[in-house]
Amino acid sequence: MDNRLKKFYPDYLFEILLVCLFALEGALLLSYVFPPVTGSPVDFSRNFLPRPEWYFLALYQMFKYFPGNLAFIGVAVIPAVILFLVFALPFLEKTHSRRLRDRKFSAVAAAILLVSAAVLTVLSCF
Amino acid sequence: MSNPFSIIDSRLNLSRHYRRIFERPLPEGVTYFYCLGGMALFFLIVLTFTGVVLSFYYIPSASEAYHSIRFIDSKLPGGWLMRALHVWAASGMVAAVMAHMLRVYITGSYKPPRELNWVVGATLFVLTMAFGFSGYLLPWDQKAYWATTVGTAMPSTIPLVGHFIMQLLRGGDDVSGITLLRFYVMHVYILPLVSIFLLWAHFHMIRRQGISGGL
Repeated sequence: MDNRLKKFYPDYLFEILLVCLFALEGALLLSYVFPPVTGSPVDFSRNFLPRPEWYFLALYQMFKYFPGNLAFIGVAVIPAVILFLVFALPFLEKTHSRRLRDRKFSAVAAAILLVSAAVLTVLSCF
Repeated sequence: MSNPFSIIDSRLNLSRHYRRIFERPLPEGVTYFYCLGGMALFFLIVLTFTGVVLSFYYIPSASEAYHSIRFIDSKLPGGWLMRALHVWAASGMVAAVMAHMLRVYITGSYKPPRELNWVVGATLFVLTMAFGFSGYLLPWDQKAYWATTVGTAMPSTIPLVGHFIMQLLRGGDDVSGITLLRFYVMHVYILPLVSIFLLWAHFHMIRRQGISGGL
């Protein structure tokens, strides 16, 4: 048996549990310092400009760029195309190399997607 | 044959499965970046626990939901912590799932023979987002109500089927108590059931194929 190879137990499991411990501590700390705020009860007459959770902010920002009847392009067509590309990724990419430098087209596309999502999220805060 | 475990083991052959999972050598290059999926699962466990506790006290009706949340926050001992942990673990899970996907993308781990596991994982990402969206309405405060009104109005602009999708989500033309119940059922029954099945498939495929290792 090659002793340099990590095993699931104890090596990998220890690493996972350590990460989980930090995750729990982070969640507990955030819970203590920033507990969720319950707003006022629903008032149907008072329209309120809501903000979604951070992971929907990019989608929410896209909604603003496609007003009226075109909104579906921003909130349905574009996300559907992106989701399709994500799901089909292993079948679209023909190269067998796992290295990023051997799949430059895919890497650039992924980088553009991530940067756009980040920019939209930041823009939605203003 | 003396200890209870060996009695069970001799009948169910558990140690063979134990060895297959626990004593299996990993490929080289498995770093801490390979713990992100485990972190997502851990957050899911925290969410299940806190979610079950919250569901003992939360009442999914338009007239009661807000007051039950207020009760959990201010009167129930430790209730505020359960709710706060549920909210933060939800954010943590979304972040962990995204980071896990990015790691799998960068190391090209979705390449053959693991294509199907990528598809299952991407579905789990969509389910995670659906969990977040459906859970956001449940406190039934101003923020929740109007965010869901905007969120469910978005699909209504899709030609032909849009109005139907919106009505399916809302259970009517407006966000109402029916919507709240629908989102609650999504959040605590449908999404967990589908997720557990897909997670079983996700982990089972990892066990069959092994993890992909470093580049």
